[in-house]
Amino acid sequence: MLSYILRRIVATLPVMAIVALFVFSLLYIAPGDPAVVIAGDQASPEDVERIRQSLGLDRPFLIQFGSWVWRILHGDLGTSIFTNLPVSTMIGQRLGPTLSLMIVTLLLTIVVAVPLGVVAAWKAGSLIDRVIMGFAVFGFSLPVFVVGYMLAYIFALELEWLPVQGYTPLAQGFWPWLENLILPAVALGCVYIALIARITRATMLEVLQQDYIRTARAKGLGQGGILFVHALKNAAVPIVTVIGIGIALLIGGAVVTESVFAIPGLGRLTIDAILRRDYPVIQGIVLLFSFVYVLVNLMIDVIYTLVDPRIRY
Amino acid sequence: MALLEVENLQTHFRTPSGINRAVDGVSFHVNEGETLAIVGESGCGKSVTSMSLMRLIPEPPGRIAGAIRFAGRDLLKLSDREMRAIRGNDISMIFQEPMTSLNPVLTVGRQIRETLMIHQGLDKQAAEAHAIEMLTLVGIPEPKRRVREYPHQLSGGMRQRVMIAVALACNPKLLIADEPTTALDVTIQAQILKLMLDLKSRVGAAIILITHDLGVVAEIAERVMVMYAGRKVEEAPVAELFRSPRHPYTQGLLGAVPRLGSSLTGTARRLAEIPGQVPDLRKPITGCVFAGRCALATDLCRQYAPGLEEKAPRHVAACHYAAKGAVAA
Repeated sequence: MLSYILRRIVATLPVMAIVALFVFSLLYIAPGDPAVVIAGDQASPEDVERIRQSLGLDRPFLIQFGSWVWRILHGDLGTSIFTNLPVSTMIGQRLGPTLSLMIVTLLLTIVVAVPLGVVAAWKAGSLIDRVIMGFAVFGFSLPVFVVGYMLAYIFALELEWLPVQGYTPLAQGFWPWLENLILPAVALGCVYIALIARITRATMLEVLQQDYIRTARAKGLGQGGILFVHALKNAAVPIVTVIGIGIALLIGGAVVTESVFAIPGLGRLTIDAILRRDYPVIQGIVLLFSFVYVLVNLMIDVIYTLVDPRIRY
Repeated sequence: MALLEVENLQTHFRTPSGINRAVDGVSFHVNEGETLAIVGESGCGKSVTSMSLMRLIPEPPGRIAGAIRFAGRDLLKLSDREMRAIRGNDISMIFQEPMTSLNPVLTVGRQIRETLMIHQGLDKQAAEAHAIEMLTLVGIPEPKRRVREYPHQLSGGMRQRVMIAVALACNPKLLIADEPTTALDVTIQAQILKLMLDLKSRVGAAIILITHDLGVVAEIAERVMVMYAGRKVEEAPVAELFRSPRHPYTQGLLGAVPRLGSSLTGTARRLAEIPGQVPDLRKPITGCVFAGRCALATDLCRQYAPGLEEKAPRHVAACHYAAKGAVAA
């Protein structure tokens, strides 16, 4: 098991290398001379030349790439053009809110979507099933910002149950932290909940046809034990897979959600960096997100072995 | 006294193309400790009958009517909760496919423990100890290790032994075995049959054995009920049925069994087949259900369904032309 995880980590290296290559090329794919871009509109030709040399942009591409990777491996993601702060510092400051938002959304999704999918499969074809699946289509079709503004209007402005926007670190108490995250998490989770509920229903429908479910019923088990132990554990692998793939949805959605609810997280940083053409920051964030995504999928492969004893590495 | 009395059992399924009368008016009984075999070809309703006894038919589209009296109580009148208390406890079931009938993601021990914990109220430790005992009883070596294994780590025969352990864990009064040996190798089949007989005498359970394998019937059944197209067409003690089958369908079934070594002893004959197919159960059948495939059928058979008639002591058959009294087969 441990050797498998190690092998998988080694196997992610080429993936990360390719991602890094793309991220690095950003600077070159973007229209215009990177040095000119970095120097800004009011720079003199001498300024541009100075920047070119200081960034090593006059050296061959592969050498530049190599030294960039070398620096990253040593924990140096470069320096922001706009703030002159190290990119790693800037990311570090913004990591907390985004991580909080993603974790709360993930938990909310699993707690809501999986039982909904199970019930829909159990009552397949009934009114309950149709209502749940109707909501799923609805949730899937609405953009995050529409849901976000709707929720903020109803629950924050009209009912005044929850704050409109902002973020409070966990260090200042659990409820203040959670209070600010509920609406963003619901908005961000909508699509995700719809997706997971659908895949749970589809997988459960198939599992419920299996012989061992008939055996479980013949043993006198109650409906709950059959659905949530005998069936759900068998349906877990596809569900966990989609939860993992869905993390990508969350990352994309977080950018928009953070803007809607004014959460000072990585999503906001990303947008700011793009607007300012702050390439080192963009590179750092994209690299981080890719790394997280690869890591999550590795975790999911490990979870497989926990839910299905037939999967061994 | 009869442990189980089934009266006019009708299990129908609503389908888009009409009502499928999978079981249509079947009555039979099983005495305590007795082994009754239900035989017939695929689609004759024998599995649906057994599933109906456990009320495992999904309703809708299925609908079960008639009466199923088990130890005096009509199972069809019980609530779901009362029925659950009977399943796996008083009546348990073994299925055909040991490969797919055990849950692949739960340990063998857990699957045996479950019934003990639900029905006997044992705690986890006691149930685990009993599970190990059951595995020993069904002849699984190293039960302490096996109890923690998953079904995919066991062979087909081993899995069927586990199924038997699950079924017998709560000392049921009735065991329904639906083609328990069909999916197994011949050598394993004999072992499993012997095991079932051993345990039956130890536990004292009655058995309903669903099968199309007449060799198995001869080996372990005391009484045989022959089903065709959702109805009972003949019933007799096993020796009597093999000696003098009355219904042409039963005669056809017995004639379709190959005899080992017959080509060597010079007694080889062409295997008798039963021509034609089982009638469509979604259409109403007038006359005898077997008339379409029967060599003896006349206009009488096609117009009037024969009732079950006692042709010899404890031997009933539904045929206008089946001889009464003793016949030489």
